[in-house]
Amino acid sequence: MKKVLVVDDSLAMARQLENIISGSGDFTCVGVARNGAEAIRMNQTEDPDVICMDMNMPGMDGLTALRSLVVLDPQVKVVMVTSLGGVSDNFSQALKLGAKNVISKPFEADDLLRVLRAL
Amino acid sequence: MAVKFFGQYLLEKQVISYEAVLAAISLQERNNLKLGEMAVEMGYITEADIERAHNAQYSKDMKLGDLLVSQGILNNDQLDKIVARQKETHLYIGEALVRLGAITREELVKYLEEFKQDQAPYQVERIELPEGIANAASWEMVVDLTYKMITRVLGLRFKPEKCRVVDRLVGGYTMAYLDLIGDLQARYVLSVTADLQQAIARAILRVESAQNEPPDMLEDSVMEFINVICGNVAAKASQFGKIVEITPPETIHPPSAGLPVPSGHAALCFPIHVDDGEKMEVMELFLVIPK
Repeated sequence: MKKVLVVDDSLAMARQLENIISGSGDFTCVGVARNGAEAIRMNQTEDPDVICMDMNMPGMDGLTALRSLVVLDPQVKVVMVTSLGGVSDNFSQALKLGAKNVISKPFEADDLLRVLRAL
Repeated sequence: MAVKFFGQYLLEKQVISYEAVLAAISLQERNNLKLGEMAVEMGYITEADIERAHNAQYSKDMKLGDLLVSQGILNNDQLDKIVARQKETHLYIGEALVRLGAITREELVKYLEEFKQDQAPYQVERIELPEGIANAASWEMVVDLTYKMITRVLGLRFKPEKCRVVDRLVGGYTMAYLDLIGDLQARYVLSVTADLQQAIARAILRVESAQNEPPDMLEDSVMEFINVICGNVAAKASQFGKIVEITPPETIHPPSAGLPVPSGHAALCFPIHVDDGEKMEVMELFLVIPK
């Protein structure tokens, strides 16, 4: 089973992602980080195969965390899951910083899982 | 399901690779000159003028073009010509992908049509606002996206009432709000009943029942719902060249007398009768906008 770290300050969104990941059959959620700093820490402790990360978070936001994650762990695979993905500058910036994809909310569970399976 | 742009759609569908998208974005950036760069290329201004204007932007919240006109470096006619030239020479991401060989021209036509179908539900429909409201088209877009998300995210049927201007935000059990900032300025407030809060939680959490969920999870579900709506508002606005950011959502339990509208602002109220599966409940959307 591939390991997924969920990063989102929203309790509800984190739960939704956990439900989708746990119900997939081929992924398991290894933890939930509430902000970018926690994501960086948990990437080291949990060693996930993929990180699903929100952009708009208090404290360290997703793009700032992404920048650090890629430097600290060049093999890291990050998919941004965000309501702001449709803003073209956000999309471009996320990819340039090293995200492998940007999924816009609201999304179908199958679309998210297809993207995760392709990584 | 969300408002998105074409390159994102192709990447999500795995039609193109992440590397191809990056290469296309890079090609676009080399081709699509920013306003200042275009003005220099057209011989209207110099690099030194640009630098002076950029420095002035630190103290003046103005777009570069407007600033250059206000400083007398450009006139309005020249600014119009620069913008027209930007539009004429703009390289869209689909064309960039064709030039890079990531997709063929035939594939571009096919995927554009599919994308149009995918985004058709997000075409803005007319919402009637009271007369004399500034930026009416933008607020119509916000309200229209709210209605669409009630359908697409919550899966609920609804009937909107006519918009009215109010001087107090009087609502239901809980209000979730966030601020739109940038080219659109407003406080977005959604007021829901306890039962609608349950319905929203069921949809956001993707569960059959939210009866046993703790209060913070129920409140967070409503916050996440408005976060999704307003993120899509920002995406839609960006398609029209408007830069909009959103603040993190918060919730309050309003007093029964409601909340006053701050001075210098007007509040538009959009009551929405929602069928939560058992009965009709009223949700209110308030947009608090500068006068």
